[in-house]
Amino acid sequence: MAKFVVNGKSVEVKADPDMPLLWVLREKLGLTGTKFGCGIAQCLACTVHIEGQPVPSCQIPVKDVQGVEITTIEGVGEKTLHSVQKVWVEGNIPQCGYCQSGIIMAAIALLEKNAEPSDAEIDSAIGNICRCGTYPYVRKAIHAAAKLKRATSGVIS
Amino acid sequence: MTTTRRNFLTLSASAGSSIVFNLALPSMAFSASKKGNVPQEITSWITVHHDNRVTVRIPQIELGQGITTALTQVIAEEINLELSLTDWEFYDPLTNYNRKNVYVYTYSGGSFGMKMLFSPMRIAGAQIKEMLLLAAARRWNTDARGLVIKDHHVMNPATSTSVGFGKLSEIASTIPIPDPSKIKTTAQKDWRYIGKPIPRSDAYDKSTGKAIYGIDLKLPGMKYAAVKQCPVFGGNLVSFDSAAIKSYQGVQKVVAIKAGPSGYTVPPFFYEVIDWRMDDAVAVVADSWWEAQRALDALPIVWDEGANKDVSSTQIAQEINNKLMTQGEVIRQEGDVDSAFLKAEKTIQSRYHYPFLEHAALEPMNCTALIENGRVEAWAATQYGDEALRITAYAAGVAPYNAKFNLMLAGGSFGRRLHSDYVSQAVQVAKEMEGVPIKLIWSREENMQRSFYAPVMTTDFTGGIDTDGNITAWKSHVCQGRSVYQPYAMSRMVYPVPNLKIEYSTVSTPPPYAWMRGVGHTQALWMYHGFVGELAELAGMDSLSFQLKLLDEKKVSKTAPEYHNLEIASTYEDAVSRIKKFRERLLHAVEKMDNKPDPNHRGSVGYAVFDMSYAPGLGASVVAIAIEIEMSENHSTLKIKNVVASVDCGLAVNPQLVETQVAGAIVFGLSNALYGEITLNNGRVEQSNFHDYPILRLKDTPSIDVHIASSDTTLPSGIGEGPVPVVIAALIDAIHTAGGPKVRKLPILKNDISLSV
Repeated sequence: MAKFVVNGKSVEVKADPDMPLLWVLREKLGLTGTKFGCGIAQCLACTVHIEGQPVPSCQIPVKDVQGVEITTIEGVGEKTLHSVQKVWVEGNIPQCGYCQSGIIMAAIALLEKNAEPSDAEIDSAIGNICRCGTYPYVRKAIHAAAKLKRATSGVIS
Repeated sequence: MTTTRRNFLTLSASAGSSIVFNLALPSMAFSASKKGNVPQEITSWITVHHDNRVTVRIPQIELGQGITTALTQVIAEEINLELSLTDWEFYDPLTNYNRKNVYVYTYSGGSFGMKMLFSPMRIAGAQIKEMLLLAAARRWNTDARGLVIKDHHVMNPATSTSVGFGKLSEIASTIPIPDPSKIKTTAQKDWRYIGKPIPRSDAYDKSTGKAIYGIDLKLPGMKYAAVKQCPVFGGNLVSFDSAAIKSYQGVQKVVAIKAGPSGYTVPPFFYEVIDWRMDDAVAVVADSWWEAQRALDALPIVWDEGANKDVSSTQIAQEINNKLMTQGEVIRQEGDVDSAFLKAEKTIQSRYHYPFLEHAALEPMNCTALIENGRVEAWAATQYGDEALRITAYAAGVAPYNAKFNLMLAGGSFGRRLHSDYVSQAVQVAKEMEGVPIKLIWSREENMQRSFYAPVMTTDFTGGIDTDGNITAWKSHVCQGRSVYQPYAMSRMVYPVPNLKIEYSTVSTPPPYAWMRGVGHTQALWMYHGFVGELAELAGMDSLSFQLKLLDEKKVSKTAPEYHNLEIASTYEDAVSRIKKFRERLLHAVEKMDNKPDPNHRGSVGYAVFDMSYAPGLGASVVAIAIEIEMSENHSTLKIKNVVASVDCGLAVNPQLVETQVAGAIVFGLSNALYGEITLNNGRVEQSNFHDYPILRLKDTPSIDVHIASSDTTLPSGIGEGPVPVVIAALIDAIHTAGGPKVRKLPILKNDISLSV
């Protein structure tokens, strides 16, 4: 029995200890916002936060998340949309949208560490695959989200 | 303050964007069953809810192109709907079957969605509007003239009375559908939605993890299937040893899936119809997909690998080489090529090659199916719902009226989901486990190795120029792997060359054919455009000047044989206008690139323009691209800096969606050109996942500017694919202009060039 915290709620899951967190989230907990794309940490569509760090959940066996805190896309905008999501919606960023949960999770983690990332810092933080080619808009949207986040957290930009 | 979804949208509306959508419901089956009230259908195109809300039916798949948003705009315009009270659902293929193609064009391919549905949906909207007005007139026992629609009510300004759609819908649905030839659509000057950058209806759900794709569907008691076809194309299943995986946790059953049809990938009236078929496969069903895949990986399977077991890419290249030494089918011929070559001042020869490619849609193929009491129901993303329904019924062994197919959101597709192989597989597994919903998902490796592929293509070019640098003789022979008949890509070259001969051949290659974003033009355009660049060099000219010199309507022959004009355009005038449009867009892209800041640090710029037309007179969007690159001094590294696109797509129904489609197609083209290659060895695809089939990432993506030409036409043409071939051609041109190696073989990064870090 694996016990951990997802989006602020404690959960207990009966699953094979080797089952990747991705499949536990999707199939055992019904949190399908986290996507399966490759299974080998290449596409990063399965990115979630583990203790605040962006991690490809397809690589994490559930036995390794005992007691830790996990946040998925469903957990970041539950009450109020995160600045990143707000900018994403207003900027019409998603196309097919399948990779966007992963990109948004990576972007949120980036802005937690770095309130004003440069293009180069964005490029290295967002290694996700987007086959529709939203990249140019993603880059602009992260700058916009950083600005919005700084404004709403009282930092004068 | 708590921001729920609805009041967030209201907030963002008041903050500036005045038009917002209600939420999208991806599955009609579920939205209808959840609510108690059954909404009232008015014609086949909309349903009206009791609270006056309207749901529009979209006969296309949403795979990122935004067609669900754009078609909703079109019909909303004619009915005068409020988008905040309007949502959409996918059409029901069974309804389309029963009502004899009432949805007109349910095929999502060829960039034709908007082009084919724009007028039918405007007419449908105008009919519905009239039916609602007549219903109100009947209710009030008055004349329909003078009644207006506002906020989902019919109003009578004379009496200041109004009645909501919800109360009118039942009467409206009984009114005979007005004659489409007599219906009046809204005048362009009065458009509220058409031509406006209406926000995507799916942006919220796709930014919050709420969007439900096929792979996300949940049904009670559902089990999961992992699947594997013979690793060699055309191989058959001999046996498997289920006992060997008996101890694996969660395993429910092992099922043999039979080879068979995977559905037609074009509408029958449109092109030659070929079913590319699927091979035998084995599926393992388990309590979770991960357990199913783990057991499948351990399952001993014996395949009869068949005739293709030794085929390799080297062998295919040899076969193509042999074929190119024979005479191909002459698909276009003008003037006297042989004597023109004798008279030419200089001649050159080159060979160009394009590899097999896979679509690499990010959401793996998947389908959920349930068979119960002689009926079958399936859920999946597909680009061709009508065929998916037919395959569902066929695989279940039931009549179409006992089948139901539900379209789901697609996590990308690019042509891959025109095939219904994964639908047949899921239904075949469900048939072995009646009453149990089965969600069948492909691993990425299965996606990469058992797909349908854009075909290999090799072309030999010979060209001759005169002393003034005019192309006087042109000969090409293209040879393609197994594919549909697609000479259009090579023969519809726009440049007027007086003596020209184009031959077409194919060889039989094992991987089954797929349409892929950009289709045959993607293989052909960069090749002959690259060769034009070589001829420019031979003439001592830069490629841009050479292209502009070729785009000369005065050179279009008025006396050319009919065949000539039919290839270039439907008439002489069309041929002239095609060339003029090309030049206009190209010059616009040149100007916009020149105007970019920092001209002193400009890298090398490449250019290309094309319209991706399939047939004369069909009307296609013209796309010109200028691309700026930087190469290291020894030309071993490449950085793509800026891309400028100038497009004429006729009426841009939603300019925001047009822009993002163009930018997305540019990224898609760049990714394929730089990295894309599927190779075969021992009959097997050698690539397996994104580590050996790389996709362009953010860090290597250039800045992209899209300029949409204003157009006086009131009709749209497709834009989702056109930039793909053009950007590849422009990039090859830029590398050539930079003095880099002659790229005559894709992918680019297999030409002693790497991306600079």
